[in-house]
Amino acid sequence: MRAPAPRYAANDGVIEAAKAALGDMLVEAKDAVGEVSLTVVREKLCDAMIALRDTPGLEYQQLSEIAGVDYPQRPERFDVVYQLLSFTRNHRIRVRVTTDEEKPVPSVTDIWPVAGWLERETYDMYGVLFSGNDDLRRILTDYGFQGHPLRKDFPMTGYVEVRYSEEAKRVVYEPVSLAQDFRNFDFMSPWEGAKYVLPGDEKAPAAPVPTPPVKEAKTTDTPAQTGAGQPHPGNQPGEKPKDPDVVPTKGEGQNK
Amino acid sequence: MSDTVDKIMERDIDPATGDTSIANYTINFGPQHPAAHGVLRLVTELDGEIIERIDPHVGLLHRGTEKLIEYKTYTQALPYFDRFDYCSPLAMEHSYVLAVEKLLDLEVPLRGQYLRVLFAELTRICNHMLNLGSHVMDVGAMTPNLWMFEIREDCLNFFERASGARMHSNYYRVGGVRQDVPVKLLNDIAEWLDTRLPQLFGDAISLVAENRIFKQRNVDIAIVSREDAIKWGFSGPMIRAAGIPWDIRRAQPYDVYDRVDFEIPVGTRGDCYDRFMVRVEEVYQSARIIKQCIQDMPEGPVLTLDRKVGAPKRGEMKQSMEALIHHFKLFTEGYHVPAGEVYVATESPKGEFGVYLVSDGTNKPYRCKVRPTAFSHLQAMDFMSRGHMLADITAILGAMDIVFGECDR
Repeated sequence: MRAPAPRYAANDGVIEAAKAALGDMLVEAKDAVGEVSLTVVREKLCDAMIALRDTPGLEYQQLSEIAGVDYPQRPERFDVVYQLLSFTRNHRIRVRVTTDEEKPVPSVTDIWPVAGWLERETYDMYGVLFSGNDDLRRILTDYGFQGHPLRKDFPMTGYVEVRYSEEAKRVVYEPVSLAQDFRNFDFMSPWEGAKYVLPGDEKAPAAPVPTPPVKEAKTTDTPAQTGAGQPHPGNQPGEKPKDPDVVPTKGEGQNK
Repeated sequence: MSDTVDKIMERDIDPATGDTSIANYTINFGPQHPAAHGVLRLVTELDGEIIERIDPHVGLLHRGTEKLIEYKTYTQALPYFDRFDYCSPLAMEHSYVLAVEKLLDLEVPLRGQYLRVLFAELTRICNHMLNLGSHVMDVGAMTPNLWMFEIREDCLNFFERASGARMHSNYYRVGGVRQDVPVKLLNDIAEWLDTRLPQLFGDAISLVAENRIFKQRNVDIAIVSREDAIKWGFSGPMIRAAGIPWDIRRAQPYDVYDRVDFEIPVGTRGDCYDRFMVRVEEVYQSARIIKQCIQDMPEGPVLTLDRKVGAPKRGEMKQSMEALIHHFKLFTEGYHVPAGEVYVATESPKGEFGVYLVSDGTNKPYRCKVRPTAFSHLQAMDFMSRGHMLADITAILGAMDIVFGECDR
């Protein structure tokens, strides 16, 4: 790793140890960008976490973080990602389960009480349900908020805006009205790797069109056809379209 | 140590009431309260003056930053990090740039790394000045706070001289820092560390550290055992005060922390007084690190010379067509980060500040989850203050060091 990111203990042997400890609870294990991530069976999450915490050689004592990620195109659209930290081995690992809007993820609050708020936040932001968390209220959004704002299909501008109303003498909730539309520029270059065609940039259909046979030999254009040799081709007084805004002056112009 | 907690937890907190029965009552603390350190609402259930239960309501400063970041390029997302913990903005930027660099596998020039460590430690001093000052003010002392704000003001002036902004510096870049600092600034910081900081800070702390009233308000308040500190996800001064010598700068060194020499203060009892004193000692250690940075800093570039990531200098753009093209591309489209995911946590002044970054190969983060330090600490507020008096809430909260920009995001 050339980047100066935090350097913890090497990943050597972690995946093997995790495979041995988790057995068939483990779906996938990979080591990418210098970090180990495990995908486990959702129903067995608690057992897997206890194994990761208590097995000698793994010893992930602390749960640092729970993050949700939304992939709307997948059947189980949400990832719930747990970051674990081992103080004794000085190592970090990532555990992931997938779920959708309905299937609940087992809560790990019995293993780490810190998970309580982290699961509440994931529920608030993504609508992921956690079975066993008896305090699954919203946490960051407004009292009475509707929807789950970090889902990819939730608009960034939201649906509701608040302001203080001088007439009602209280804060009122209104549908969002924007003076200017939200501008989202697409910087994916149409020449490099874009998987779509930009509007107005449609190319020929994918099927190869047979080239029409050449009927007559192409000859060089004559100067009369191309306008070559004329002082300003295509810019003669007669060739210009009439501009209604330009009123020709009577004299020679003010610069004379 | 855990025995003491157990005793506090299990002791009969019902006061002798005779024949009259007293019902518990619930009071609302905040969200507008000077000791709430921002917009914290605590729904507290009291038995007389003794706390039975606390339900912190957070999110009143939620600005949807994580959503906003998903719509911004990697460069544009950086200033949002200043606004998380607005008391230590550069420490927040540090985690983010390290995360993006890890995904890009980008090398950073040594001078850039030294400058980042220098300013991260200056930020730590700046943050602790605010926290220690407001902590002593919450428990009744006035003067130290004013003196510590003097130091904080000096720090902000240094940030201004380096980056042009006092608080929201936006100084770090993926690949280094925005610009080099003048030699005069380094000289001034070195002189300040030798004269003004120890003088003002020493005076301020000498007023409270051995003060009887201050100790009565903090010693043995909200004792946290090692086991609880791990289970509740503590980090930073909170876990060190509980007696665990865990510091990410030492255990998982990033930038040039493995080249500087510093010590990690550790608490013995895990109470509010320990948390206070751990931070006091950290200020001196930060000053040590800054001195070493100034001494050891080599000459050279401060930003990566990989022009696909680091923006060219203005002067270079006047000379080179290629620099102009790079500048245009970097500030419109930005750079594309290879697909992948990283979790990078650094030791911010308040604890472990992590960034979980998921990239899908485009110029914008697919997901950027921030791990705030305050979330786990504030969650523990309930069990930490159970059995204590209502007036201890301010001491406990002050010793936690919570800023709502970061907690609510």
